Amino acid sequence: MTTSTASASARTVVTGKRQRPHYFTHLFLIIVSLIWFLPLAWAIYTSLRPYADTGGNPRGYFSIGGAYNFKNFVNAWNQADLPLHFLQTILVVVPALILILLFASMVAFAVSRYSFRFNLAMLMLFTAGNLLPQQVVIVPLFRLYLALPMSAPLSDNGIWYDQLFGIVMIHLAFQLGFCTFVLSNYFKQVPKEINEAAVVDGASVWRTYRSVLLPLARPALAALATLEFTWIYNDFFWGILLLRTGDKFPVTSALNNLSGQFFTDNNLLAAGSLIVALPTLIVYFALQKHFVAGLTLGSTKG
Amino acid sequence: MATVTFDHVYKRYGEVTAVSDLSLEIQDGEFMVLVGPSGCGKTTSLRMIAGLEEITEGSLRIGDRVVNDVAPKDRDIAMVFQSYALYPHMTVRDNLAFGLKLRKVPKAEQEKRINEAAGILQLEKLLERKPKELSGGQRQRVALGRAIVREPAVFLMDEPLSNLDAKLRVQTRAEIARLHQRLGTTMVYVTHDQVEAMTMGQRISVMSMGLLQQVGSPQDLYDHPKNKFVAGFIGSPAMNFIDVPVGSGDLTIGGFSFPVPSRYAESIKGAGRTVTAGFRPEHLDLGDMAGPTGTVTGKADVVEYLGNEELLHVSVGEQEVVAIVDSSHRVRPGDIVNLRLPANKLHLFNAETGDALVATGE
Repeated sequence: MTTSTASASARTVVTGKRQRPHYFTHLFLIIVSLIWFLPLAWAIYTSLRPYADTGGNPRGYFSIGGAYNFKNFVNAWNQADLPLHFLQTILVVVPALILILLFASMVAFAVSRYSFRFNLAMLMLFTAGNLLPQQVVIVPLFRLYLALPMSAPLSDNGIWYDQLFGIVMIHLAFQLGFCTFVLSNYFKQVPKEINEAAVVDGASVWRTYRSVLLPLARPALAALATLEFTWIYNDFFWGILLLRTGDKFPVTSALNNLSGQFFTDNNLLAAGSLIVALPTLIVYFALQKHFVAGLTLGSTKG
Repeated sequence: MATVTFDHVYKRYGEVTAVSDLSLEIQDGEFMVLVGPSGCGKTTSLRMIAGLEEITEGSLRIGDRVVNDVAPKDRDIAMVFQSYALYPHMTVRDNLAFGLKLRKVPKAEQEKRINEAAGILQLEKLLERKPKELSGGQRQRVALGRAIVREPAVFLMDEPLSNLDAKLRVQTRAEIARLHQRLGTTMVYVTHDQVEAMTMGQRISVMSMGLLQQVGSPQDLYDHPKNKFVAGFIGSPAMNFIDVPVGSGDLTIGGFSFPVPSRYAESIKGAGRTVTAGFRPEHLDLGDMAGPTGTVTGKADVVEYLGNEELLHVSVGEQEVVAIVDSSHRVRPGDIVNLRLPANKLHLFNAETGDALVATGE
C-alpha cells in the first residue's frame, strides 16, 4: 500500500517536471535562422556559378544547373588585388585593436579601481563619446585630418589624411569609449581585496594593472577583441572618407574594384565578398569560447 | 617581529567617525584579537595598520617607526583577507611567490620559503593548482601561506575563518594558534565571533561603535568586564541582565533576589536608585550551593537539550533568563524552576552608564 502510494507520488513529480514542447518557439527560431542564412547561402551558390549560367539564363540567379567551380574566387582574388588590401586591413586592424584594448583597459583600471575627484566624470565622458553618431563629425574631422601634421614614417604626405595611421587613430577614438565602458564594468566585478592583496604584497599601480587585473580581464579582452575586429575589419565608411590612394584601401573598400561603371559581374562580386567575409568568421569561431565566456561573466559566483 | 601602537587614532569618513580615539599597544609577538559587532571599527583599525586606510588623526607606530604616511609595501606586514583574495589566474606556487618576486628575493630563497610554508600548511601537493581547483579550507591555507612566506614583522588577519564551515573553522582555528606559537610573530586578528576571540587571543580588544571598550586577557574580560557591553558580548550564551532597585538589604525584584556581594558594598552606595545585575547562564544551577547565593524563580518556557547539559529559557515576570544546567535535572517545559547563583558570580553595573561598579577586596 505504502509502496504504491510512493510510486504514484514519484510519477506525479516526474510528470510535473516534464516541460511542454516549445513548437512555436522552435518554428520561429528555424524561420529566423533561415532568413539570416538565406542571403549567405545564395551568395555561396552564386559565387560557384559562371556568369554565363546566370546572366544568360532567363531565370537569372534563381536558375538551377550548369557548371559549378571556384573560378570566380580565383578571379576575384587576382582582379581586386585582395592580397595587397588584406595587408592594408591588417595594418589598420592590428595596431588599432592593440591600442584600443591597451588604452581602454588602462582607463578602465584607473576609473574603476581608484577613487579620485574626476573618475566618475571621466567614465561618463568616455561613455557619452560612444553615443556620438560618427557621421555628425565628418566635416570637422575631414578638415582636421587635412590640417594635422604628421611626420614620416607614420605619414608620407605630412598630414593625417590619406594615411593608414589616420584610420587607426579614428578607430581608436571612436571605439575607446565602448571598450572602456565594458572593461570598467568588468573590473568592478573583480573583488577589491585582490587589488589590496597586491598592494600589500608590494605591487605598484602599474604592476597591479599588468600582473593582476589585466590577466583577470582576459575573457573580457578576448570578447572585445572579437567584436572590435569585426567592426574595424568591416568598416567601409572611414576608409572611403579619409583615404584617397586606391592601394591604401582596406579590403572591404577594395571590393569596389570588382564593380565596373557599366557592368558588374555579381558572381565575381559574391565570390570576392565571401573571401573578404571569411576572416571575421574565422576570428569569431576561433574566439567563440572567449566570446561566450565574456558575455556570461559575472553571472555566477566564482 | 614588532610592536604595533595606536596613539589617539581617529578615522573619519566625512561626518561619520569609524574609529574614535583609539590608543592600544600590541606587544611584540603577541596574538591580539580585535573583536566587536559589525560596524564597530575593528576592520578599519586593521586596515589602518595595513596602510589600506588613511589615518585621519593620531599616529600609528610599527616598532619604533611612525607609519602614517608609509606605503603598505614598506610596512613589513602581511595580510590575510576575509575572502582570501588569491590571484585566480596564478597557481598556488605563483600566489606564494608573487610578493617575494616583487621584493626581488633571490630565486633559491623563494623556493626555500615556499617549500617551508607548503610543509607547514600541507600544501605540497597543491602547489601547481589554481585557486578554483581548491576547497575553501585549502584556499584559506594558501592565503596564510602567502603571508608566511613574506616573513613579515606583523601578520594581519581579517576574519579569515568566516567563510569556512563550522567544523573546518574549529580545525583551522587550532592551526592558526599553532602557527603563532611556531612563528612567534605579532598577529592582529579581527573577528566578530567572540568564541574565536576567546580561544585564540592572548589579549582581546573589544570594540563598539568605533570605541575601544576594554583590552585584556580572555579570562580578564570574562571575569571582570568593564561595562555592560563587554559583559554581554563576551560569553555564550550572553550574560543575563536585570535592573533591580537598590534598597537597604538584598537586591530584589519579581522572582529575583540577590544578596549584595561584599566587594560591591561601597560602590553600590553611589550607584543611584537602580543598578543592573548581570549573571552568566552557566553560573546558574538548580541544586543547593554552599555560601551566599541569589535566587531566580520562574517558569521554564523552552528547554534545549544539549546532551550533557540543558539550555533553559526561563520567564521571570516580563523578563527572560537563560540558564545552562546539568541535563540530569530533566527540566520540562512549563516547570517552575528555582535557580541559584553564587553571590561572587554576580556582576553589578551602573544602570545609566552601563559601567561596572567598582569591586573591592578581590
